[in-house]
Amino acid sequence: MKPILKPTIEQKTEMGKTTFLGWFKNKWSKDPLFSILIALMIMVVLQTITLGFDYGSFGEWLQAWTNNWINILRNNAGVGIVALGMTLVIMTGGIDLSVGSTLVITGAFAMYLLDTGAQGILGSVGITGIPAILLTIVLVLGFGYLLGALIGVSITKGMVPPFIATLGAMMIFRSVTQHFTQGYNTSVPAEFLQISSFKIGSFMIMPIVYWIIIAIILYYVSKRTTFGRQIIAVGSNEKAAKLSGVKVEKVKLRVYALMGLLVSVAAIIQVSRIGSMDFSNAGRGMEMDAIAAAVVGGTNMLGGRGFILGTVYGMLIIAVMNNLLNLFGVPPFLREAFKGVIVIVAVLLQRKEKTA
Amino acid sequence: MKVEMNNIRKSFGNNDVLKDVSFSIQGGEICALLGENGAGKSTLMNILGGVVSADAGSIFIDGVEVDIHNPIHAMEAGIAFIHQELNLINDLPIYENMFLGREIKTKRGSLDLKKMYNKTTEIFKRMNIDLDPETMVGELDASYKQIVEICRAMMMNATLIIMDEPTTSLTDSEIERVFNMMRTLKEHDVGIIFISHKLNEVMEICNRYIVLRDGVLVAEGDVRNVSKRDLANYMVGFDVRTESLRRNRETSQTSQEILRVEDLSHPYYFRDIHLAINAGEIVGITGLLGDGRSELFQAIFGAEKYQSGRVYLNSKQIVIKNTYEAIENGIAYLPRNRKENAIIKDMNIMENASITTWPMFTKRGIINSRKHEETFEEHRKALRIKMGSITDSITSLSGGNQQKVVLAKWLAANPKVLILDNPTQGVDVGAKEDIYDIILQLAEEGIAIVVLSSEAQEIIRVCDRALVMYHGAIQGELNNEQMNEQTIMHLATGGGLGEEKGVHQI
Repeated sequence: MKPILKPTIEQKTEMGKTTFLGWFKNKWSKDPLFSILIALMIMVVLQTITLGFDYGSFGEWLQAWTNNWINILRNNAGVGIVALGMTLVIMTGGIDLSVGSTLVITGAFAMYLLDTGAQGILGSVGITGIPAILLTIVLVLGFGYLLGALIGVSITKGMVPPFIATLGAMMIFRSVTQHFTQGYNTSVPAEFLQISSFKIGSFMIMPIVYWIIIAIILYYVSKRTTFGRQIIAVGSNEKAAKLSGVKVEKVKLRVYALMGLLVSVAAIIQVSRIGSMDFSNAGRGMEMDAIAAAVVGGTNMLGGRGFILGTVYGMLIIAVMNNLLNLFGVPPFLREAFKGVIVIVAVLLQRKEKTA
Repeated sequence: MKVEMNNIRKSFGNNDVLKDVSFSIQGGEICALLGENGAGKSTLMNILGGVVSADAGSIFIDGVEVDIHNPIHAMEAGIAFIHQELNLINDLPIYENMFLGREIKTKRGSLDLKKMYNKTTEIFKRMNIDLDPETMVGELDASYKQIVEICRAMMMNATLIIMDEPTTSLTDSEIERVFNMMRTLKEHDVGIIFISHKLNEVMEICNRYIVLRDGVLVAEGDVRNVSKRDLANYMVGFDVRTESLRRNRETSQTSQEILRVEDLSHPYYFRDIHLAINAGEIVGITGLLGDGRSELFQAIFGAEKYQSGRVYLNSKQIVIKNTYEAIENGIAYLPRNRKENAIIKDMNIMENASITTWPMFTKRGIINSRKHEETFEEHRKALRIKMGSITDSITSLSGGNQQKVVLAKWLAANPKVLILDNPTQGVDVGAKEDIYDIILQLAEEGIAIVVLSSEAQEIIRVCDRALVMYHGAIQGELNNEQMNEQTIMHLATGGGLGEEKGVHQI
């Protein structure tokens, strides 16, 4: 064990006041999100420069830049929302591999409810139009929450390790969905598509708005509420948390249920964006993308440490990098490799903070 | 063999941890290294063990100056450091553990298990150890694990062994086993540096002592020439109270009964427990390890299940299903083994001090930080917690201050019954007295207090009466006058109250 070097108060103020370099060093070593933010900024600058080469006037360039960003954010809003929930799950010391399959099962549920054809559940009991859409949203969110809670129960009451419980759920949910949706063609009502495609000004940014709202809520929950802080306590030292009066099982159950709820939000966004869903491929690898975003954002896989804001940064880093690779014309099969490198480098960079 | 450390200095930042410390030790000596937490003991030993380097000073072995810059140098120089957290792999047998990192291999590169087994048998014979080398380390109790580590050091021809609080988590019989091992080492002319807070053990096993205080060596000499009280005084630098703190309180017997337990039983840990505790009373529960006292009170606190029996609070029967309900009912439990059971290292001081009260000081789930800060500030003063900012990491505090933070969190919950399980474990002498003061004060305020402790001295000094447990049952109750170490030990080892005292002295 290395001794912990504690800067004295004098050194601290010295670092904080004198130079930019001093401030930078201090911030770099103290604030775990700082290095992530710097990495993100570097990538954004790189991306901006790359875009700048292709356009003549500033106006054109700005429009291209904005459109590019809206695209990036909108494409990643669903995974971004799931990654926020994943962060909380990992902070309790758990993991959720089932998110991709939960996405398709809740998505399929939404489509069955809404279908304007003969199979539509709500339509067949005479509920149509806006009430049908609102009811669908409520039911789908409830279904996602319920599925998450079921996973949570098997983990807390059944003592099944999270990896196994969610691996099982991952297989079950997708398999069941695929079986029951064979040869199913959907026709989702046009009003439902407004959930994602409603325009603010001339921008189609609703998914981004949902992502931002959820991020703000979860940031606040993780920082200021009993539930949020108990998540850290449970993940850091479950025994101590239990002996401090934390209802450990309840906290875990709620985290998985919340995860299911967030996945169903992502499902609604996806269905309302495209109007359909490819049940055999949608959401495949989503769990890994969500975990990668959380890890790049500074979440400790062993639990106890995680940052909602960090996960947003992490998601953006991965997204911007994908965009850059695209702009640079890197062959598609190689892009996953870059993602892998980013994840490992991020953890390498964060290792220093753990020892300090 | 003679190891000398001369004029050792070390500072971390502006903090001078060691200020010109010199001492020496010879083969066949057991030297106690004493001092409060933060006195510089660990740093001094880390320098000798090659974990950190000194800023100035020199180390001589048998008159030759040596350079020790990492633990491997130290090992080659014959210095072995047995840390509190043992470096053994539970899922490997003893003989493979003995060669961890230095495995003997056959010509083809596979492990030469036979040779490793034989060498282990050899060293066990030499050390008079009766252990099967094929036993899994996970099956050994803590004392045998220590012994395996010591044997490993001996196999690497160690001539000086540093033992960092080896007895903290051991029962008395296990301690005796480790002590026997130490005596054997002494016969083999090995020098031992024994770091401990337990002065009884120092008096028993050591022949020399050195005391560090604030990075300075303040006393050294022959153990025969000092008393425990002298040593304690050297450590803190002022006169330490050793007298009983019990107040002469007749009232406690007549005051209102708070907690009553009837017929409480558990399949393994405890059975037929009856006890009653009044407001303002301090009741000690003691016994040897495995007596079930922790499990009993964890069951009352809702952290452990019980099979049958009834618990009454203020004469009303309660059934507590989890720890949260216990806290709501005014029962608090400060657990033993702070690091495992109480400290949440990813959270700061303030959060560690407020975790139990988050659900209470809250508005629609949002934590009332200001209320927590005010409450903590109050307790911080009362408990004399030495700390920087409330947002510093809990691990930046010394053991004593960490324990005080844990205590503060329970005080914030405003308990009617406060159960303290080994409240002064791993706490330095000064903080210990602070904690005793607070216990007495809380009792004055009418809280019913239960002190679980394996230290008879602690029970005798602080409690109004004591219950001694033996293998899950209450073996006897001792009042104010009856409490003494001999009687407690007699009951704790299974003796009866009325019997002639065949006292097991340790």
